[in-house]
Amino acid sequence: MSFRHLWAVTRKEIQHILRDRATLILVLLTPTAMLLIFAYSLTVELQHIPIAVLDYDRGATSRDFVQQITAGDDLDLYAQVASEDEIEDLLMRGEIKAALIIHPDFSRDLLALRGMPLQIIIDGTEPESGGFAVDHISWRAEKFINTALSDQLQTMGLALDTLQPLDLRVRTWFNPSLKPRNDVIPGMISIMLGFPALSVALTLAHEREHGTMEQLMATPITRTELLLGKMLPYIFVGLVNVVLIPLFAIAWFHISFNGSFLLFFALSAVFLFSILGVGIVIGVFIRTQAAALALSFLVIFFPGFFMTGIFFPISSMPELVRMESLFLPGTHYAIITRGVFLPGVGLDILWPYTVMMFGLGVVFVGIAALFFRKKLG
Amino acid sequence: MTSPIILTQALSRDFKETRAVDALDLSIQPGELFGLVGPDGAGKTTTLRILAGLLDITEGSGSVAGHDLSEQPEAVKPKIGYMAQRFSMYGELSVHENLLFFADLFDVPRAEMAERTSRLLAFAGLTAFTGRRADHLSGGMQKKLALACTLIHQPEILLLDEPTTGVDPVSRREFWHILSELHAGGTTILVSTPYMDEADRCSMVGLMYAGRLIECAPPARIRAKIEGEMIEILPHDWQAAQDLLRTLPGVFEVQTYGESLHVLVDKAKKRLPKIKKAFRKNKLTYNGLRPAPLRMEEAFISLIRDLEE
Repeated sequence: MSFRHLWAVTRKEIQHILRDRATLILVLLTPTAMLLIFAYSLTVELQHIPIAVLDYDRGATSRDFVQQITAGDDLDLYAQVASEDEIEDLLMRGEIKAALIIHPDFSRDLLALRGMPLQIIIDGTEPESGGFAVDHISWRAEKFINTALSDQLQTMGLALDTLQPLDLRVRTWFNPSLKPRNDVIPGMISIMLGFPALSVALTLAHEREHGTMEQLMATPITRTELLLGKMLPYIFVGLVNVVLIPLFAIAWFHISFNGSFLLFFALSAVFLFSILGVGIVIGVFIRTQAAALALSFLVIFFPGFFMTGIFFPISSMPELVRMESLFLPGTHYAIITRGVFLPGVGLDILWPYTVMMFGLGVVFVGIAALFFRKKLG
Repeated sequence: MTSPIILTQALSRDFKETRAVDALDLSIQPGELFGLVGPDGAGKTTTLRILAGLLDITEGSGSVAGHDLSEQPEAVKPKIGYMAQRFSMYGELSVHENLLFFADLFDVPRAEMAERTSRLLAFAGLTAFTGRRADHLSGGMQKKLALACTLIHQPEILLLDEPTTGVDPVSRREFWHILSELHAGGTTILVSTPYMDEADRCSMVGLMYAGRLIECAPPARIRAKIEGEMIEILPHDWQAAQDLLRTLPGVFEVQTYGESLHVLVDKAKKRLPKIKKAFRKNKLTYNGLRPAPLRMEEAFISLIRDLEE
């Protein structure tokens, strides 16, 4: 491999990026702008979900409980109803998203430490709001139990601690405010870094469309020199984004960054290598920019959103898709970004994902170099 | 005779159903200025691309500068300067940056870079536009830049695909002046062109038609091959004159050339009075009627017409 050839291509590509305003915007500003848009549209925090309460208990404790449940901005008490028919009616008309039914034995069972007989009905046509209501009712119920029972236990002369071993409820770690942004935004960085990959796919098609590829093929440049020379500038550009995006996420969304930035930067470079590998494979097989753009969305962005576990947990995917998601660099990178941002884990935990990403990159670039021929037609 | 620097034997290339190049036997000697002419779709571009190592050969074989095109296509590339028909320089790069780019790819010794680029810029008349973006150049200057880029590594062989198409007459003349200089310097040049007057400037001409090489000879010999002589007439009633001429004995064919008609006859001296007489008889008038030299253009149109019949 001749570094002179490699640098000639890289230098030419950098000059192209800097002088072609559309490319410059695509690779430098789009990722951050998209992060802003997606972060807001995809992680809208649900607030003021209207619920109805049917209180069969009608005691002081249940009244306190209802008041606790609806004290925040998350859940609004839309109506106190007297029958389940009314609940059905309100749900059907879409006026409430969930209903809470408090059983007649609520206070008695609670104070006797026999549990908390509650029923929650949600609107299945809007699972997000319904799920949100269930989560928040449970969360507030838990808080209520702690305060209500601490008085009760004190009167019984027991310490609150005595109950703790029995508390088997799942706790949410690292993201105690339950704000989805905290884990979605680090995950989304992988999608934003798809833009440099898209640019690589486009740049090869661009050369074909403009006839410059024909001239390139008539020179002694080797396939590897050409492909790597094309990738390098977009790795640089991607790394600029790797700095910009977290800065933006921290400054704008107040996301905590608990890990090592240097590690994040290094692993992001590995991810860029592998995702650009996908882009270069597209560029080798596809001849027009329009087709390359369409395929990039199909291969880089859609799976990036739906299959890398950013929004939908991989564990809940069908077996086949789970297998496939392992071959997406974004799956591994999503784990890495979340790990570095939130709990601040290090390479001791993240190395298998790094190895996987690097391996995928080598495979992609290998495929591209193997199938790229210095021939027309 | 030395051994040919470009040689093809029964070379064919198919694109799906169509055979673009059909059993082509081409032999070009070192130092030749070889003009490849022929109508659109004759297979000129495909031939040049194959010789530049850009297309696979379907059947037959070819070699350039001693390297077989199927076996060692990459060994051919440092030896040739290939100029595609389309403008294929980088529009965002300046004239100078384009030259440097190709100098790097062809491993031009760094010590010679400055001298070579400035010489080529002067040679192509681009010195004043060194810093200008390539896509801001005129069509003729773009062609000259492309030529300069293909010359940066001082190739033994130049493969130029219609380098003057879409270029104004003055630039065309300048371009051919440059080619003549290179030819004088010993470079082998294979140039395709749709312009017959350009074929006259070559040392050897090959006529391609439907993927085949129909004629291959120096321009004078090709002209000599055409039977008959030429008479040029500038009639007032163009259509009637054409119809009349076609019925006269001794007339091989009538070609239109602007407002005049070029009539290919067996003997100009013999037919000239008879044509005058026939015009008078049919009450047709004309501004001029004279014997004219047979040019490459008529020769080719005549040859192609024979083939089509």
